Amino acid sequence: MNKLLEIKNLSLTRNDYCIFSNINLDVQEGQLINIYGKNGSGKTSLLKILAGITERTGGEMIYHNSFDKSLKRTYVGHKYGVKNNLTAYENLYYSLDDHKDKQTILDALETYKMIDYKDSLIKHLSHGQQKRVSLIKIMMNYAHLYLIDEPYSSLDEDGIKIFNETTYGLLSSGSSVVITNHTEVNNIFTNTINYKI
Amino acid sequence: MGFIRIINKEFKIASRSGYESFMPVIYLFIIMIFFNISISYVSKNIILELVPLMIWVSCLLICILNLETIFKEDFEDGTLEESLVDDKGQEESVAAKILSHWLLSNFPVVVIAPLIAILLGISYHTSLILFFSLLIGTPTMSLLGSIAAALTVSLKRNKILMSIIVLPLYVPILIFGTSAVNNAHIGANYDSELYLMGILFLLFSLITPTACVKALKVSLD
Repeated sequence: MNKLLEIKNLSLTRNDYCIFSNINLDVQEGQLINIYGKNGSGKTSLLKILAGITERTGGEMIYHNSFDKSLKRTYVGHKYGVKNNLTAYENLYYSLDDHKDKQTILDALETYKMIDYKDSLIKHLSHGQQKRVSLIKIMMNYAHLYLIDEPYSSLDEDGIKIFNETTYGLLSSGSSVVITNHTEVNNIFTNTINYKI
Repeated sequence: MGFIRIINKEFKIASRSGYESFMPVIYLFIIMIFFNISISYVSKNIILELVPLMIWVSCLLICILNLETIFKEDFEDGTLEESLVDDKGQEESVAAKILSHWLLSNFPVVVIAPLIAILLGISYHTSLILFFSLLIGTPTMSLLGSIAAALTVSLKRNKILMSIIVLPLYVPILIFGTSAVNNAHIGANYDSELYLMGILFLLFSLITPTACVKALKVSLD
């Protein structure tokens, strides 16, 4: 399995307060990495550093093989990244890669059991449904690295099952997924690393 | 996401936000009514000299008032963070955001302002120059202001800070704009003012998208 990204001695300090230090992690193709830990341990910050939103204060991030800076990443944070005044379908349409077919959106909505709500404005959907749209949005377009902050929060049992199935598909196609969580993830995917922060 | 697709999306969102889209134009009408009431005792010649300049100042204030909205909603719903992840096309999406914001918030004012000037007795020629000066001046103000909006997007009460940052920078645009309109009113040459405004517009068109992306990254860090 090819190495996608190597993280060496990563650290983050804010106003002289060390959020985390000495993070060493290898991200390989087709691997799920579950970063777990207490509130305030820096899970989201670590994810944002991987996404390139936050600057690290120490350490190295080495991209491997041909990826270098062309590594295609996609990220969804605590905020769902969907527009309240657009319908579920429109939110997905405007985030779709140009070359993709509109049928992809309908298929994704069907998979996530959201097809009945495709014409509903996001502001009229529940938090769980908004989360589903948000997850469809990032998983619909291909990326080498998917970064998802607490994907299981707000999702019901059915939503979690669908998310796991979709993630399995992404991992099988060679993409890597990094998620944050409050607990370890066990017995879902074969190639899973639990990393406590 | 493509440039046109972002503009299309912004127009769709604006079409569903109701009366908010008309607020800049309503605001311009209100300012002009108040202005006319307050100077109603002044002689007509002085009023005719002041109206185009007053319209220019009103447009500048409207520009500042709605600057905050360029990135705020995207920041609050999380789409801003997502758009900064992919290294490709960040400048393009920021440029599309600024253009759609100008088209939705300032362009209606640019169109309505000369009509108000004509209604208040300003000549067609001066109103036309007012239109052109606003057509070049307001996008320049949007470009310049969007850098300040990007720098202050994560602050809760950013309106005053943003005004303090941009107001001094708007002075050259205001001077050139009002000077061009005043020259047109007195029959003098106004070309050089319009050219200078054009140069400022081109300059900020080139640097603003990159500066905004950097400023947004600093704000979100």
